Amino acid sequence: MIEVYAIADHPGPPLPDVNGVRAVPAGRIAALCADVEETALSPAALWAHEAVVEALMEDRDLLPVRYGTRLADEAQVLRAVAERHDALLAALDGVRGAAEVSLRVVAPTDGPAPAEAAARVHEQLAGQARAATVLDAGESRDLLRAAYLVDRGGSAGFAEAVATHQRAHPDLRLLCTGPWPPYSFAER
Amino acid sequence: MTDRILHAPPDLDLFTRDQPRLDDAFPRRINADPETLERGLAQLVLTIVELLRQLMERQALRRIDGGTLSKEQVERLGHTFMELDKRMVELRDSFGLDEEDLNLNLGPLGNLL
Amino acid sequence: MSTAVAEQEVALIDLVDRLLGGGVVIAGDITLAVADVDLVYVQLRALISSVATAEDKHLLPRMGSAL
Repeated sequence: MIEVYAIADHPGPPLPDVNGVRAVPAGRIAALCADVEETALSPAALWAHEAVVEALMEDRDLLPVRYGTRLADEAQVLRAVAERHDALLAALDGVRGAAEVSLRVVAPTDGPAPAEAAARVHEQLAGQARAATVLDAGESRDLLRAAYLVDRGGSAGFAEAVATHQRAHPDLRLLCTGPWPPYSFAER
Repeated sequence: MTDRILHAPPDLDLFTRDQPRLDDAFPRRINADPETLERGLAQLVLTIVELLRQLMERQALRRIDGGTLSKEQVERLGHTFMELDKRMVELRDSFGLDEEDLNLNLGPLGNLL
Repeated sequence: MSTAVAEQEVALIDLVDRLLGGGVVIAGDITLAVADVDLVYVQLRALISSVATAEDKHLLPRMGSAL
């Protein structure tokens, strides 16, 4: 099976020697992929996959591909990517020079949840980012899960902003992680 | 991995797995049962296994329909899924769960199975 | 829970949100092998949204009530 890790520009800089990753070009983009064995779903497998994506992201802009995207051969990879060439290129343009930062907000106590305060924090952080999106918090007790697209190298500054909001909101708890490849901005 | 925490409060536990909350996703009658915790966990585990079994089965069927498997492979796949199915029934029975118990309500996503 | 373990877990939660809930969707099948039940226990929601997205994009047929 061929696992697809990311979509990047074609042509692009030489690929790092990691996991046998190679490029399958289609017009102005390429699918970065590798031959893989069946792997069981586990934290180690996920982190290993992420390490490959991040190694690729070190010297190129890319759209990370959903985990577990496996196709039988390069012809299928080519077809899948070519079909969405223009949309993928547009999405790639949207994340140039950027990375993703994650935010989770919870209320530390049971009782009336300060959802409004969480929404305000999100709005203000969104104002400091290139783009922002709210993620599905599912059945968790999170008041908010969000992702922000920030300039590469801008995550430390963003963390500072989060720390400031944390100080201003003792009724909330803010957790900020990153930088991540732009998973939440890869699909329109 | 942990070097990607940019900002965290001291009470980080608030952001880790929230097991008691998962009870909200279970059907009402399980919540009323005094042995809730153990059966609740078994229920969730088996539901996930069932979900994944269905996903895998669908992938296998797709392969079979695609005509890329040999007759033996198809037979083996069919046999495997029959066995998996039997095992699921055994596991469910041993926890006193029936089919409906594995159908979680996911709110806006509808029912799981 | 020790801080180190909590840190690993929250990092993993954010990772799985992204790997299984985000990213480009170019194929109908997402290949996952049943294994570490602990991980799957935590990430049921991310897995479901992953499948739901593939269904929304008509890459997967709707899962009927197969039981």
